[in-house]
Amino acid sequence: MAKEITIEELRTMARRAGLPLPDDELLRLLPGVKRAQSQAAALRELFTNAAEPATIFTTFKIDLK
Amino acid sequence: MQNTQLCYLTIIEAAAALRKNDVSPVDLTEATLKRIQAIDSNLHAFITVTADLALQQARQAEQELSAGKDRGPLHGIPIALKDLYMTKGIRTTCHSAVLENWVPDYDATTVTKLKEAGAILLGKLGMHEFAFGGPSVDAPFPAVRNPWNTEHVTGGSSSGCGAALAAGLCFGALGSDTGGSIRTPSAHCGVVGIKPTYGRVSRYGIIPLSWSLDHAGPMARCVEDCALLLQAIAGFDAKDPASAMVAVPDFLCGLKDGIANLRIGVPRAAWFDENLGVDEETETVFNQALEVLKSLGATIIDIDGRPFSLARKANQTILVCEAYAYHEKTLQETPMKFGSSVRRRMLEGAFLSAADYLTAQRARSMLNERIRANFSQVDIFAAPSAPRPPEAFSTMDPNEQNLRPSFTNPFNLTGLPAISVPCGFTQGNLPVGLQIAAKPFEESTVLRVAHSYEQATNWHDQRPVLE
Repeated sequence: MAKEITIEELRTMARRAGLPLPDDELLRLLPGVKRAQSQAAALRELFTNAAEPATIFTTFKIDLK
Repeated sequence: MQNTQLCYLTIIEAAAALRKNDVSPVDLTEATLKRIQAIDSNLHAFITVTADLALQQARQAEQELSAGKDRGPLHGIPIALKDLYMTKGIRTTCHSAVLENWVPDYDATTVTKLKEAGAILLGKLGMHEFAFGGPSVDAPFPAVRNPWNTEHVTGGSSSGCGAALAAGLCFGALGSDTGGSIRTPSAHCGVVGIKPTYGRVSRYGIIPLSWSLDHAGPMARCVEDCALLLQAIAGFDAKDPASAMVAVPDFLCGLKDGIANLRIGVPRAAWFDENLGVDEETETVFNQALEVLKSLGATIIDIDGRPFSLARKANQTILVCEAYAYHEKTLQETPMKFGSSVRRRMLEGAFLSAADYLTAQRARSMLNERIRANFSQVDIFAAPSAPRPPEAFSTMDPNEQNLRPSFTNPFNLTGLPAISVPCGFTQGNLPVGLQIAAKPFEESTVLRVAHSYEQATNWHDQRPVLE
């Protein structure tokens, strides 16, 4: 499992994402981001490589329009 | 009939009264508008009241009904919409400064269908900003308050729908549900709300929160009214890529067939006790509801709650990623236009990776399979609609909800139809909801079970003291 995100990493990622967020806002954001990342990490334990995502592209839907 | 009595008629009762000429669409509309004017300043259920349009539609309905042109049971019935349903020529704000003065140039498919059914639009209802976060304290419109106790929240995000129905400010409403946003305010306000199967009702013209989890559905004061509203809005829509080409049954037919021999799965183990667990009073009320269902001929079967518990992690990961993707440009350019609560939740999605999102979608496939596998031994699932009663504004803790089980998320993740029906009150006189979920496209089953329960109890007849 990846290590927890730090405020410095969050600041860098926000800049790269084009998000003009001041430091006080990033600090308030940090606990939620940690929780979201840990939730996503926990899901990795659930399945084997055979599992496909529930996102399926179907050409038929387009034909129906 | 007194004004309050008129405003608290069910749609079924109002439709019958209209056809006996006991009341007219104009009477119903004027009574409701008068009540909105009298009490909504304490509740803030409405963002926009379309009084002139409503009266014009009411007069047209009156003329049509008098002339024998009957569009069906919603003809002449005043309804309202969560303010994320696009309405041509009428402001649609999503309760946000981002869209504070935005006026769409077309109607959502569901709005078109209600217009065709002759329903009267009273206005647009307050909500959690962009259907996410919590009650906003920094949005341009005040947070909606619970008619049962205005110091308490309504639950969300279809907050105005719950409050307006409980307060007799409309006869039916359309909400939306991405993680519980129809069922939670229905439970907290003591009304009925159904989240249909994913694909059953068109999402076209509804501002998205999360494309793959968003569901549109009706809320009302009784199950039969929900069935009527669902009948009017369900069906395939080529404009919605997720719309299902599945025949729409008659949702009223079979409603009164009872639940003898029904097998009810209760996923209590490893779900109800997650972290802080379910509130004790809520669980007591839920257990009493199960006893009522047993007395009606159903059998209760304990099933494994683990996949239901895990569903929340997948649901929330998908939700924040999709919500961020939709709002990315606005969050980059004018982030402070969003209220603090919704902004911080959406921004979580900026810091998750593509692999995180796809991991959640893979988990979704697996959990969907595990949850649906239970249908080999049960017909429906039952759980409380919310893990605790509506909290007070003064002690609201947005982090606490993450420490309680989410009873609603699994049915967004799996797309299964689920309803919340009133099932009792706490000692503090706050409503509690019973949630029933069934197999895909079996809305008729959830409606039948909820209706059977409703007819055996009188919780749905209780009204808050407002005047």
